[in-house]
Amino acid sequence: MFTPTRLIRAISVIAHVDHGKTTLSDRLLEYTGTVAQRDMVEQVLDQLDLERERGITIKAQAVRMLYKADDGNTYQINLIDTPGHVDFSYEVSRALAACDGAVLVVDASQGIEAQTIANVHQALDHKLKIVPVVNKIDLPQANPELVREEIEKVIGLPAESVIFASARQGIGTKEILEAVVREVPPPTGDREAPLRALIFDAKFDAYRGVVTYVRVLEGTLRKGVRILMMQTGKSFEVDEVGIFRPERTVIEDLSAGEVGYLIANIRNVRDSRVGDTVTDAARPAATPLPGYRHVTPMVFAGLFPTDTEQYQQLKEALEKLQLNDAALVYEPETSAALGFGFRCGFLGLLHMEIVQERLEREFNLTLLGTAPTVEYRVKLRNGEEVPVDNPDHLPDPAEIESISEPMVTATIVVPSAYVGNMMELSQERRGQFLNMEYEPGDRVLITYRMPLAEIIHDYYDQLKSRSKGYASLDYELVGFEEASLVKLDVLVGGSPVDALSMIVERSKAQQQGRRLTEKLKTLIPRQLFEVPIQAAIGGKIVARETVPAMRKDVTAKCYGGDVTRKRKLLEKQKEGKKRLKRVGNVEIPQEAFMAVLSLD
Amino acid sequence: MERISSLYLHVPFCTWLCKYCDFNAYAVLEGLIPQYVEALAGEIEAQKARLPVGPLETVFIGGGTPSLLTREQLRLLLDRVRAIGLRQDAEVTLEANPSNVTAERVEGWLELGINRLSIGVQSLQPGALRFLERLHSGVEAIEAIRTARAAGFRNINGDLLYGVPGVDLSGWMETLETVIDEGIDHLSAYELTVEQGTRLGQEVRTGLVRMPDADSQLEQYWAAVDRLEAAGFVHYEISNWARPGRTCRHNLANWHYRPYLGCGAGAHSMFRLDEGTTERRWNVKGPHAYIKRIAQGQDAADDREQLSHDRALGEAAMIGVRLMGGTPTTGNFLDVRRQLVESGLLIEDNGRVRLTRRGVELANQVGAAFLV
Repeated sequence: MFTPTRLIRAISVIAHVDHGKTTLSDRLLEYTGTVAQRDMVEQVLDQLDLERERGITIKAQAVRMLYKADDGNTYQINLIDTPGHVDFSYEVSRALAACDGAVLVVDASQGIEAQTIANVHQALDHKLKIVPVVNKIDLPQANPELVREEIEKVIGLPAESVIFASARQGIGTKEILEAVVREVPPPTGDREAPLRALIFDAKFDAYRGVVTYVRVLEGTLRKGVRILMMQTGKSFEVDEVGIFRPERTVIEDLSAGEVGYLIANIRNVRDSRVGDTVTDAARPAATPLPGYRHVTPMVFAGLFPTDTEQYQQLKEALEKLQLNDAALVYEPETSAALGFGFRCGFLGLLHMEIVQERLEREFNLTLLGTAPTVEYRVKLRNGEEVPVDNPDHLPDPAEIESISEPMVTATIVVPSAYVGNMMELSQERRGQFLNMEYEPGDRVLITYRMPLAEIIHDYYDQLKSRSKGYASLDYELVGFEEASLVKLDVLVGGSPVDALSMIVERSKAQQQGRRLTEKLKTLIPRQLFEVPIQAAIGGKIVARETVPAMRKDVTAKCYGGDVTRKRKLLEKQKEGKKRLKRVGNVEIPQEAFMAVLSLD
Repeated sequence: MERISSLYLHVPFCTWLCKYCDFNAYAVLEGLIPQYVEALAGEIEAQKARLPVGPLETVFIGGGTPSLLTREQLRLLLDRVRAIGLRQDAEVTLEANPSNVTAERVEGWLELGINRLSIGVQSLQPGALRFLERLHSGVEAIEAIRTARAAGFRNINGDLLYGVPGVDLSGWMETLETVIDEGIDHLSAYELTVEQGTRLGQEVRTGLVRMPDADSQLEQYWAAVDRLEAAGFVHYEISNWARPGRTCRHNLANWHYRPYLGCGAGAHSMFRLDEGTTERRWNVKGPHAYIKRIAQGQDAADDREQLSHDRALGEAAMIGVRLMGGTPTTGNFLDVRRQLVESGLLIEDNGRVRLTRRGVELANQVGAAFLV
């Protein structure tokens, strides 16, 4: 299976969501015979059930295809599929770093969209050769010629290089493959040089340990070699190297330019970090590959079992999930209101949702998640500095010298019509305007410096809704900044509910308190008693609402023929209550703990 | 199996389906009545052979509109009932629509041994009767009570509805007052309930009709409680009042969780099996299907459920607590009872629990607490 370096290609397919990236990938696999048509499950590359349902890719995939081109040569094309969400932008950048070219898919009726441009920027940053494709040309409302012109005008790719395709009908598949082998450059690495392989993903396999996805850029990787992870300094002996076709297939070696996997008895994905460089321990490379970043969680939230008996199960489930998810961190947490649970750290909100959904679905747990927060750095009067990722753990204000919060640079790409809305929203969220650039094709790139805490509070959804879905967002952590922050406590039925505490900017605190109590009033169902909901800052009540007591719940008739129905109705009501968390004598639904996320 | 001494007979025919009704009843099927009565008589006979039923203490002929049946049809049914065994002092109730209560019919009912009449008065307010799509007038309803009384009925119930859109407290009290003045023996006053799948349900959902709020519904309810007490009625179940000695024995048997047999389309039965299990079963709902089953000599039961001793206890408490005199605690549900007492919904004394005023308003919350 030896392929000369000049016949190797590594590409990724990039597209705005729903423009047909996955269908096109499937067609390429089919056309090259990598997957027989009869084995073709819709969307082969998205493996997790969740990914298929949500239509997003969470983990990267990498498949080797063999393609016999018109020039008579058989090419090895490595197709790397990338995750498609801002939470995983680092993973995306590493996957692109493992490629030499990108197939850019644009919908023939939608045309270029915000995310298309963001994708192109990313691909160009990685110096990828772009093969433009106009997809879905078979749809009645398609206007491929217009979109082709748009590609030339906006992105600057020559119109004649654009390929017309319909992934659904298999039109243009061959032309795309021909363009890939013709246009995308072969790798340049030296097979004899010291080994340097880039890790762009890792997965945990219950039987084999971690399966590390790599692209070898220099040298050769083979079984038996003792490898060194250049960033973590960990060393392992390679048990197996192989490729995906798309199932794992063992091969002799992976040499410069090739994409595949290695198995080396690695017990935890933490020891196989995305972006790290694999080298030969006996003959290490002088420098690691550029661009490694230690991924740290940005968003924190408590996860508690609704049924306290499920604590142990939750603990075991988190342990298992973490084996496969290096970005997930957790530690035990005790809440006076919610009992025993875990404080978990996530890359972002989607990551958080995915983790919670997987815990519930794959481990059959019923969980209650608290509102996500960021990690603050609190400087105490005694000179100590403590990290605080749980609002309830904020030290006594008397001991606090200052509080700093994480800041990001947020980049928004949006059609010019929505610039005003975007600026208004960002200013409301304590954003500091940095820059605005007009791009070809009526696109504007706006950058703001703003607190991460503001971003995780519904900012992305607001951005989407105030731009009719056109805006795309990317953000990057740029450091910490001192801010005037206070803790807002919430009392329900007179007792403080720690899981509802939040850290807010002092000048907005009272207003936030009012909005929060109003919102909670709509979310907490009527109980037998009147339930006061109060917001307090440092013991001083700043807002109060009351959930009136349940007024009436009585069935007029109960005769022989009504009994079964009545009992079933009451049993159902009772079942519904199990999803409520009892705090003191008040029953609070899950949504109430998320109320702080949408106070606008 | 515990011996059964209560029998319910269901007659699912009406000349008109009122828009709020979700009972198992059918209009425009009157042509089916003769066959249906044959089938019903057949079921009574068949059940007599299968189950330990009789002698009967109570019989209740409900619907639908059983007053649509001819004297001969009722005679056939009551002959079969007597074959089971009917106590001399048994309570035999017939539900009647005011329009059907003529002197001639009433005489026939008495002659057949029917000794309790339940008249669907609903309201005496013209606006309410129109809203409820009742075909009788207030005058007719009053006439019906007088006719029955004159013929010799000494146990007459009136069904009333409160919380009807467009009827305020004074309108409701006027209806109540008139019915009391007519010397009625028993009253069932129900809050008009919006059921899914009815036309009223549809009208409320689409905003065509707005129901009165909980406060005004309760205002009408408690006003009735006070007025009826002053008039000498005993309030014995959430929605039921009787002059002394005139409580409905058939319904009390249900509420005291005693077994009963139901015959007819969609009728429910409750049996106590030997090992202490409670069984509920219900017949096929449609009259056509019912007639076919019986004609083929089959049991008409469509489905059944069995409740363990513990679940049955909960169900018994759910029903029993609706009695204003309360229900014995039987030493169970210690925690539940304590919580309900602390919440001010229940009063416990002398080994019985009963609802407080607030408990009446939230009786479903109390009932649900007893279900395991």
